[in-house]
Amino acid sequence: MKKIIVHAFLLFSISIQAQIKADDVKTFTLKNGMKFLVIEDNSIPNANMYLFYKVGSRNEYQGITGLSHFFEHMMFNGAKKYGPKQFDQIMEYNGGANNAYTTENVTVYTNWFPSSATEVIFDLEADRISSLSIDPKMVESERGVVISERSTGLENSPWNLLFQTANGIAFLEHPYHWPVIGYLDDMKNWKQTDLEKYFKTYYAPNNCVVVISGNVKFDDIKKLSEKYIEPIPAQPEPPRVNTIEPPQTGERRLTMQKDVATPYLGIGWHVPAAKHEDYYALTLLGDILTSGRSSRLYSSLVDKKQVATQIFTNFGESFDPTLFIIAGVTAKNINELDMEKAIYEELDKIKKEGVTENELQKVKNQKLMEFYGQVETINGKSNNIGTYEVFFGDYRKMFDAPAAFNKVTADDIKKVVTKYFTKSNRTVGVLKSNPEE
Amino acid sequence: MNYIKYLLITSVLIVAVTGNSSAQSYKLPPYEKFKLKNGLTVYLMEQHEVPIINASVILPAGAIYDGEKSGLASLTATALKHGTKNFTKEKLDAELDFLGASINTFASKEAAGLSVRMAAKDKDKVLSLLKEILLEPGFDAGEFEKEKKRLLVSLEQQKESPRSVIGSYFDKFLYGEHVYGNLVQGKISTVTPLTTEDVKNFYTANYLPEGSAIALAGDFKITEMKALITNLFSGWKKGTKPQINLASQPIQKPAKQQVLLVNKDDAKETTFYIGAPGISRNNPDFIAIDVVNTLFGGRFTSMLNDELRVNTGLTYGAGSRFTTLKNGGSFFISTFTAGKTTEPAIDKALEVLDKLHKTGIDEKSLASAKNYVKGQFPPRYETAGQLAGLMTQMFWYNFDESFINNFEKNVDGLTVEKAKEIIAKYFPKDKLQFVLVGRSADIKKIAEKYGTVIETQIKEDVKKAF
Repeated sequence: MKKIIVHAFLLFSISIQAQIKADDVKTFTLKNGMKFLVIEDNSIPNANMYLFYKVGSRNEYQGITGLSHFFEHMMFNGAKKYGPKQFDQIMEYNGGANNAYTTENVTVYTNWFPSSATEVIFDLEADRISSLSIDPKMVESERGVVISERSTGLENSPWNLLFQTANGIAFLEHPYHWPVIGYLDDMKNWKQTDLEKYFKTYYAPNNCVVVISGNVKFDDIKKLSEKYIEPIPAQPEPPRVNTIEPPQTGERRLTMQKDVATPYLGIGWHVPAAKHEDYYALTLLGDILTSGRSSRLYSSLVDKKQVATQIFTNFGESFDPTLFIIAGVTAKNINELDMEKAIYEELDKIKKEGVTENELQKVKNQKLMEFYGQVETINGKSNNIGTYEVFFGDYRKMFDAPAAFNKVTADDIKKVVTKYFTKSNRTVGVLKSNPEE
Repeated sequence: MNYIKYLLITSVLIVAVTGNSSAQSYKLPPYEKFKLKNGLTVYLMEQHEVPIINASVILPAGAIYDGEKSGLASLTATALKHGTKNFTKEKLDAELDFLGASINTFASKEAAGLSVRMAAKDKDKVLSLLKEILLEPGFDAGEFEKEKKRLLVSLEQQKESPRSVIGSYFDKFLYGEHVYGNLVQGKISTVTPLTTEDVKNFYTANYLPEGSAIALAGDFKITEMKALITNLFSGWKKGTKPQINLASQPIQKPAKQQVLLVNKDDAKETTFYIGAPGISRNNPDFIAIDVVNTLFGGRFTSMLNDELRVNTGLTYGAGSRFTTLKNGGSFFISTFTAGKTTEPAIDKALEVLDKLHKTGIDEKSLASAKNYVKGQFPPRYETAGQLAGLMTQMFWYNFDESFINNFEKNVDGLTVEKAKEIIAKYFPKDKLQFVLVGRSADIKKIAEKYGTVIETQIKEDVKKAF
């Protein structure tokens, strides 16, 4: 078993043992531009392969919305060597399992397998990356699957409906405007040619980063990559997303109806993309606001004032400027406007008085525990290393993150709240039973 | 918002089990097990990969002991964190949050549990907080009222999501009057009158060391931890009355095929279970059943998902599962589909079940299922948290490391003939119990095709019996 090191965490008194360090990640890039990151870890007799394609709903346009996600599904529906169903059948026969997910920014394919099956996984991946076959019959049945996926999401969580609508108002021009799942009418009308074009443009080896962790040897991975993946030709660089969302100059509000017990409230403020220097302060701010029951918003809104029963924040990695969201569920017999007001009061407090050193230390301690959780498993390693490579431009940033979080001062937190959490920069969404009230 | 390829709504068996890598056998790391004088069982396992310690506690204080006060076990577990002898709730939360540590308390159908995670350097502090939470809870009345209010909203809110409530309806429908039908989170009418008196009585009667276990895995030395745990928990007093095992009553099997139709006026989909009585955790065929269920409804290429999703596009996902408890269990197929495709989806599911019985499984698919359960096994016991959880499961269901260490052998031992017997014996053919959550106006006629229909309203409390 490997040990984990966070050498940069100087403020922590924990005696720091060895090691996964940046140098334990070994990398190479094939001639066709596909980059590999490999972490040898023999703690269990298993390995994984995470493929990060830099394509998501931000690469779509109206008329083909949802196509990135649909394409993710189609990647399992047959290629030249292995026909429909065979990708999954062969992987499972060899003891492997897989999944995949699509976001606004990326499409990620995840394979988990006993390391004895490593070559089989290379063979399967190479086949579909090089020569996917898009069978019209499969397109039709898979269309039903994603329409069911959309419907079941809306059926089981009011958040889906609220957030996708709020995004449409917060982003008027940038492609974060539409939902990852797509508009229903677009979903019904994707064409064969749309799919073919998408595959050629985005599913190129040079548009993909691969991370492999587990009971493997770097040299073996390199050989397998050269054998299976390197012959696949590179493609021209995909078109850039040029749209920049214009600054928001006034509050935007929306209300929508759904039969719910108490109103759902979500507020989003425009904030920068992951590469921006404010990323670390904003991330810690999220924890200060809602991580744990002693956090500012939980303590004030849920515990003391009892205007909410749940409260959370959402701010994640993105390629383009995104939203920092604070959302929650209103308590019984409370007007959602009172809950909204209570959120602003807490933000105003930070603008005026800042946060305490104790609070800041608390969220830094929590971040360290979170980091250990992320590198405790081979899957956590691949997912995080890949995320840093793709969103921050360098996997080494993952190892620098503890120090970057540590550098954040109470004043930095105050500054980001003052800078981004203004009235004009926010979109407020409410979902409730009776919007006529 | 992420959209994923496959939503595994039905992970294989409820207890973490499956196979072993064919390349290298997975063995459970060594651990030490001992009992304190008061009867508390302790498991300790060193794991030094990260400077973290995980603890898991299991207590015979689940919803089966609720009696008429449905939801009491769950609220009692939650209320453990409403302050202790030396800490107000606020101080307790602040202390744990500052350390980046967590102590979660919960109740399930049979047991109550705590799961704890801490930095190794904080073990003295966090474990002494754990001890206070478990042995000296304050049960503050003000905090309890606030908690209850939040729970009542949450119970109402769950009715917004068919997936959140269908399991409770199914259990009630299948188990009838047996305590395994008890609703873990309770219902609005039973939670509303609960008081801290109820919680204190429940705690006194059921939070007892002699039927409980604590397991720790992580970055510590066994000798040191043994002294620490002995010191902290030896003062826990045994109960004065023996606990009566309410779950040992016989479970009535359904006499006929019937349908519980849960009407949700604004539903666009029908979410449904088709089930029957299952097996208890100690069933000698447990592993064989797991392998067969993997083929039938436990993975992406399973017969159910292949037919209902891949071939027909009727749903985003379909699967099946055995939920196992100490004295019994359930089996169910679960999926969802658009309201207008309710009938073809149910028919397909039944057709696949029929096919399992008629055609059985062949050598190649059995080999595939065996490889799959073995290959997906080691990551289930990769972290200290998973291992601590496994040890309390070993305690609760009375098995030991041989289950893990012989798993591969036992999987490999399953033959096509034996699989055939397993299907005939454990996979239901008739007297199926259907639960449909959907818009009654659209699907009631369809529901009648499958058995006697009992209709109920999602907005109402779950009935005492159907």
